[in-house]
Amino acid sequence: MRIAALVLVVCACGAPDRDPRWRGAGAKTPRRGGTLHVATNDQIKSLDPTFANDEVSTYAAQPLFATLVTYAPTSAELVPDLAERWELDADGVTYRFHLRDKLVYADGTPIVAGDFKYSLERALRAADSPFYPYLVDVVGAGDVIQGRATDCAGIVAISERELQIRLVRPSPSFVFILTMKFATPQRAEWVAQWGDQLRRHPLASGPFIRGDWDEGTKISFVRNTHYWDPSQPYLDRIEMLENIPRDTQFLMFERGELDTAERLSAPDYVWIVGQPAWQPYLHQTALMRVFGARMNVTKWPFKDVRVRRALNYALDKSHTVKLLNNAAVPSHGMLPPGMLGRDDGLVPYPHDPATARKLLAEAGVPPGTELTYVTQNDEQGETLAASLKGDLEDVGLIVNVQLVSFATLSTISGSVDGPDFSITSWVGDYPDPTNFLDVRFHSRAIADENATNDTRYSNPELDTLLDAARGELDPAKRTAMYKRAERILYDDAPWIYDYHPVTTEVTQPYVRGFELHPIWVRDYTHTWLDLDANGERIPR
Amino acid sequence: MIRLVARRIGWALVVIWFVITATFLLTAAIPADPAKALLGPHADEAAVERVRAHYCLDRGLFAQYGCWVGSVIKGDLGESYRSKRPVTEILADRIWPTVQLALAAIFLQLVIGVPLGILAAVRRRRWPDRATTVVTLLAQSAPQFFLGTLILYVFAYRFGWFPISGYGEPGLDRLWHLVLPACTLASVGIAYYARAIRSELGDVLGEDYIRTARAKGVSERTVVLKHALRNSLGPLVTLIGLDLGVLLGGAVVVEAIFAWPGLGREVLQAVLEVDLPLILGTVVVAAVAIAVANMLVDLVLIWLDPRLRDR
Repeated sequence: MRIAALVLVVCACGAPDRDPRWRGAGAKTPRRGGTLHVATNDQIKSLDPTFANDEVSTYAAQPLFATLVTYAPTSAELVPDLAERWELDADGVTYRFHLRDKLVYADGTPIVAGDFKYSLERALRAADSPFYPYLVDVVGAGDVIQGRATDCAGIVAISERELQIRLVRPSPSFVFILTMKFATPQRAEWVAQWGDQLRRHPLASGPFIRGDWDEGTKISFVRNTHYWDPSQPYLDRIEMLENIPRDTQFLMFERGELDTAERLSAPDYVWIVGQPAWQPYLHQTALMRVFGARMNVTKWPFKDVRVRRALNYALDKSHTVKLLNNAAVPSHGMLPPGMLGRDDGLVPYPHDPATARKLLAEAGVPPGTELTYVTQNDEQGETLAASLKGDLEDVGLIVNVQLVSFATLSTISGSVDGPDFSITSWVGDYPDPTNFLDVRFHSRAIADENATNDTRYSNPELDTLLDAARGELDPAKRTAMYKRAERILYDDAPWIYDYHPVTTEVTQPYVRGFELHPIWVRDYTHTWLDLDANGERIPR
Repeated sequence: MIRLVARRIGWALVVIWFVITATFLLTAAIPADPAKALLGPHADEAAVERVRAHYCLDRGLFAQYGCWVGSVIKGDLGESYRSKRPVTEILADRIWPTVQLALAAIFLQLVIGVPLGILAAVRRRRWPDRATTVVTLLAQSAPQFFLGTLILYVFAYRFGWFPISGYGEPGLDRLWHLVLPACTLASVGIAYYARAIRSELGDVLGEDYIRTARAKGVSERTVVLKHALRNSLGPLVTLIGLDLGVLLGGAVVVEAIFAWPGLGREVLQAVLEVDLPLILGTVVVAAVAIAVANMLVDLVLIWLDPRLRDR
């Protein structure tokens, strides 16, 4: 008995071999077949494209639904998808999309231009769809939203293969919106047939169809043999486990029960980046997200731009990067790396406590002034708040940190009576500055409640610039306008700009063709498995 | 007896009403807007207002309460804000995994805790008693998030004897997936049961009628198992009843660690996302489970000890 216990303890404590247990077969070209095993740490809420907007449901929608246009496999460049081409008329407000020939859904029925019209109008009509605000620039959208019309005058199916969308004003970013999954074609009869159960019964137009789904536990995706591109996908099947905590995912990954481990937790990340054997299988990308601290610029002391700049000088972003295990890029503004209009000539505010103290003194903020900083009650929120608190205390300010849940923070931040100083972040839906700057800094987005411009920053010069840039069709002019907007926001500093997160995933050596996508993050359309001739994994 | 049962049912209904009303008021007091949580941070004021109107969240508190209680009485717990799925359907999906986990945990508590308690009671102040005290103290003191993670690491990851997480397929595979979460969940209960039996049985074994039985030459096994144990079961029945009620309400930590798709994990997610219909629906189920379990305990205790019928 005692010997058995001793053996148990020794076995449990000994250092295991944690190098990859399998290797690829070395195939030079992609191979078809096989099942990819993945997991998520949350559960899918809905597969109805008109409503699915949470992160995991969006992951699940990705293999199911194709759209008129999409992004290139590894970049945010727009490429044709169900539309073989599209053009913008000379008036700058009329888009024409030409569908590919013989497009069909997974059940073999044809996809026609009217299905796109139906799908977009469904998003406008559904009272609780989160997507209708994206379509407000379409002619007639307001009438459908208000219930004055059921037909959106600006969306016209010219023929079975041609769709026309007319906007009320030029909007070069509009085409990005059509990459979002709510814009996938939906057949009216199918929607009517399934009613409330549509959330479980999607009519796929993408590379996979839904297989079995034990809600909250696991879902499978099976190759769509009717997909418009017969060369894709390579996989026969994807098995996705739901609700698996990230730490557990990594253990399952090491045991070979999973082929990928999603966003690694800090201890796993720190371990794996130090392992040479795993380096070829690590995948990293900067996400289209930004984190910082917002200030209510209408309230003392934040109404004084010198205070806001002082706080930007006070924050040591190198601490943030260290605390996030290097999985972050310091930011100088809202726009993430690679986005149109981002001014790479601007450098993040340097850590300069002396300048910060000088600016605070000039603004009449005495040492010992107390600030309340509201942040999210999770590990990362608390850690970064502690770092910010330390940095601001170095320049003489006293910071009281208040922790609240994400849901509470979302509600109170946009309220006129909400906190003056709190953590903030933004996740882009599509790679265009309108989805960042207009939403967060245009004075149009200020409201007493649910304001997306929760800093209440109002600058007529910036408003004019953003309005002009929003409709500017010349990319060079548009870029210049957004660079100017970035400069204004850098100088006026309504946020303490902190960082853009970098995500890391790891795959087994036999998983090939997988790259983290800057928008979709996970897209398995081009993934394939490098197994032996019998479809088995080859031990290292 | 019928009047007694009717009275117990009446009180159970009052308790359930009180719990769901208190939960409704507490959720209403949360400084978080479900419409905002549903739409996400990108939503503007008009979108949030549209959703608030759709779910009657723009009405007064009493109107919302009246609307909700009216639906509950009709058996309709509403629709989850997040998934647009009927709450009754979600709960029906989640209750069976929770029942399996709860019953497995209680089974382990009984088959391990009771014999340990008996052993400790009949070998008082000797090494089996001391060993039981140490083991039960450790089991009671170790937080479940620690113990669960530890046994997951050792028995699933390192030795590979059990699956790391998940629910498995019906049959032996399900049973295999159930072992580690059930052991984790049962750890505290095993300790409580062992200590309760040790204490109660120890007292009973000192009673005059036990001495009489021994004096008459009844074997020690019969004395302990037939005469003493039955009279020591009162506290155990109460503990089982309370456990059953609490466990049927969901085991949040254990279900999260082992990705067990039960009520606990569902309610945790609902709370984080301010999914009010789902929170309230889960509370209704938990309240009913606890009230029914308590009622059953009362009835079993009355059956075990007829003297209680007159109280």
